[in-house]
Amino acid sequence: MDFFIQLFSDPIGFWNSHTLLISQIGINGIVATSMFLVLYSGQLSLAAPGFMAIGAYTSVLMELYWHTPVVLNVAVAVILAGIVGLLVGLPVLRLRGVFLAIATIGFVEALRLGVILNVPITGEGLGLQHEADPLGGVPIILVSLVMVVFVVWRLTKGRLGSAWSAIRQDEIAALSQGIHVARYKMIAFILSALIASYAGALEAHLNFFVDPGDSQYGVTRAVQILTFAVLGGTGFVIGPVVGALIVTLLPYIFEGAGDYINIIAGIFLIAVIIFRPQGIVGRGGLAIVRPAWWPRSRARAPSPG
Amino acid sequence: MLLRLDDVRRHFGGVHAVDGVSLDVEQGSIQGLIGPNGAGKTTLVNVITGYTRFQSGQAWLESDELSGLPAHRIAGLGIARTFQNIRLFKDLTALENVLIGMHVRRRDDTLAQLGTLPVFRGDEQERIKDAYALLESVGLPSSVGPRHAATLPYGDQRRLEIARALALRPRLLILDEPAAGMNPSEKQGMRELIERLNADGLTILLIDHDMRLVMGVCRRVAVLNFGKKIADGTPKEVSTDPTVIKAYLGTGGEREVRSAPGATGVDEEREVEQAAGSSPAAREPEKAILDVEDLTVSYGAIVAVRGVSFRVAAGEIVALIGANGAGKSTILNTLSGLIRPESGTATFDGLDLANAKASEIVKRGLVQVPEGREILARQSVMENLELATWARRDGATTRRRIEDVLKRFPILGERRDLSAGSLSGGEQQMLAIARGLLARPRLLLLDEPSLGLAPQMVDEVFRAVEEIHKDGTTILLVEQNALRALAIADRAYVIETGRILLSGSGDDLLHNPAVRRAYLGG
Repeated sequence: MDFFIQLFSDPIGFWNSHTLLISQIGINGIVATSMFLVLYSGQLSLAAPGFMAIGAYTSVLMELYWHTPVVLNVAVAVILAGIVGLLVGLPVLRLRGVFLAIATIGFVEALRLGVILNVPITGEGLGLQHEADPLGGVPIILVSLVMVVFVVWRLTKGRLGSAWSAIRQDEIAALSQGIHVARYKMIAFILSALIASYAGALEAHLNFFVDPGDSQYGVTRAVQILTFAVLGGTGFVIGPVVGALIVTLLPYIFEGAGDYINIIAGIFLIAVIIFRPQGIVGRGGLAIVRPAWWPRSRARAPSPG
Repeated sequence: MLLRLDDVRRHFGGVHAVDGVSLDVEQGSIQGLIGPNGAGKTTLVNVITGYTRFQSGQAWLESDELSGLPAHRIAGLGIARTFQNIRLFKDLTALENVLIGMHVRRRDDTLAQLGTLPVFRGDEQERIKDAYALLESVGLPSSVGPRHAATLPYGDQRRLEIARALALRPRLLILDEPAAGMNPSEKQGMRELIERLNADGLTILLIDHDMRLVMGVCRRVAVLNFGKKIADGTPKEVSTDPTVIKAYLGTGGEREVRSAPGATGVDEEREVEQAAGSSPAAREPEKAILDVEDLTVSYGAIVAVRGVSFRVAAGEIVALIGANGAGKSTILNTLSGLIRPESGTATFDGLDLANAKASEIVKRGLVQVPEGREILARQSVMENLELATWARRDGATTRRRIEDVLKRFPILGERRDLSAGSLSGGEQQMLAIARGLLARPRLLLLDEPSLGLAPQMVDEVFRAVEEIHKDGTTILLVEQNALRALAIADRAYVIETGRILLSGSGDDLLHNPAVRRAYLGG
């Protein structure tokens, strides 16, 4: 509670004492938008942590070894993620639904266990310590978030977005309208890789330390990012960002719960999914949930086909 | 020629789905494509539109070769299609659905979107205007535009799908069963729409089961059966062609095709009227095990079964026959409690089928063998049978029961350890029936046991059905293969668009030309 009291009674003090938290919200919001992009084009890809790792390690390593300017490092990291996205996407994007999810998790884990934890230059299990410039801090992160959200929002409104929408709803029907499904899926996948990589680079510079743990670049992170999108809703660009905000703030929202924080946060997430299956940001009100034993007036037949 | 197919072939494993079909579609015509269930019509459409690869053969749209092109390229060349089971973008509005149809001719605006230049506003207004015009051209008012596609009534969804296809500005429009599940007045509306689009110069390839529609609007009709083209000509030629009649009505086992009702077709109209008027209504049994009164079933807005009444007495074989989409399977699904009726009653041995749970109905002895068999393809024959009895506790009795059933189907006994998916279609059908028998039915509902089977297999399945009947099981049989069903049925009901059109003893109906009419239209 103190957390929220301070937010309203002393916003400047709050801002100064919680820079790390605010930055983390911004970064999670950017990653959430990258997740939105793949989901919007009908792809359940969980590859974001892999691209974040590429962004983080590439930018930090360039800085440590070549002492190149940070802007160049981040740019190279983002482009590299795009190339890797293309190479990974070529075989993997033929898959759909849960199979795509598993294949992308495979990519994430192969990158983390196979490359990061095995190549000496990455510091292996110890991670990378660095003292780089924190990339301008909170303002840069928040401005980046706004720009990323704006670009993705505009893209969803154009020809690209209408093709993505069509593919998400029905690939077969999209083909019948002359939409090159494979190409548009690839565009969304690569764009989301670029965005995730950028977020990864920002995050690495925020923390002065690149942590190769599972909760950073592994499945745990992938699930967390998916939670942003599911909780916030994928009907609107802003949905996953709101999801990221709430998930990142959960420990503060349920501050008083002490050791039970995880249980209570879990119950909260389940309740949202039951009563707002479309996510927090979305059309419509609360879903009416009728238990199976509740007497029903008159059964309606299912529609044919 | 707008579309030319030359010896197009597509096999799936051993199934010859499309087996060397050549077909010409003339510029500006409406070409019909018909055939019984499983004849390969949809596969042929999928091959033409690039969803399924060509195995061999060639196809041209005017001078553009189609074989080997991906589906989106073929759409871009100007072949638009609708789908048998409507595929709209359900969560988008009707307007957005049509706008997506304009994808190919829409200028790429990715960069402009980022700058939101006003240039595009004009462009977009233009497209929205076009889209509303397209909605209007298929008979949808502009108030439909902002509604979500999924919330539209069924008939409007069909029309919206056509509007979306038209947004491509196609050279050829392929309609895959546009009138499926429609009532007569909706069908009439669809017919008018098709004729109007054609009058505006659009070439149409029409696939439908409703013969009245196809025969009514098409100048030429091609008929497929088992993947081969068996006839191609004017509606009149096709509907009196003995091969076509045989393909639709099936064969009566040892009976000759000659005996197909109305095949000789002297003075059909009068003959049909006489027959329909004088048709002896089936003598309804006094003591019925199954009693259906005025049953009406709907799927949302579609009324599939309208006020159907019939009875089945213990020991009978009763057949419900009629063309695809007549509502036969819906009746069976209602009886076994899978669908609830809108009104009317159905009682089986004192049990109210309209309200009883599906499991109670099975326990009482009313067992359905579903259409399409629904066996577990990866499990072995034995496992399929064991799963059917898993609810029983006494292992020894169950085992004996399975052995008994296998004795009746020796071929299943031989293949007990093979996976069910590796069986032939006929053997799979027998497995499905065997599984039904394990539930100890007193009334067995068989839904299309001959579906997709070669003639010899049909013989064998029907022999098995007759034997089961001899052992004292009452049977309610739903079949498209009318002659075959009539040959074994004590009584039969002819169903057309959800109503009972005729009823009578199997023999009476076998010689009634109105039966042919119910299938092939007039």
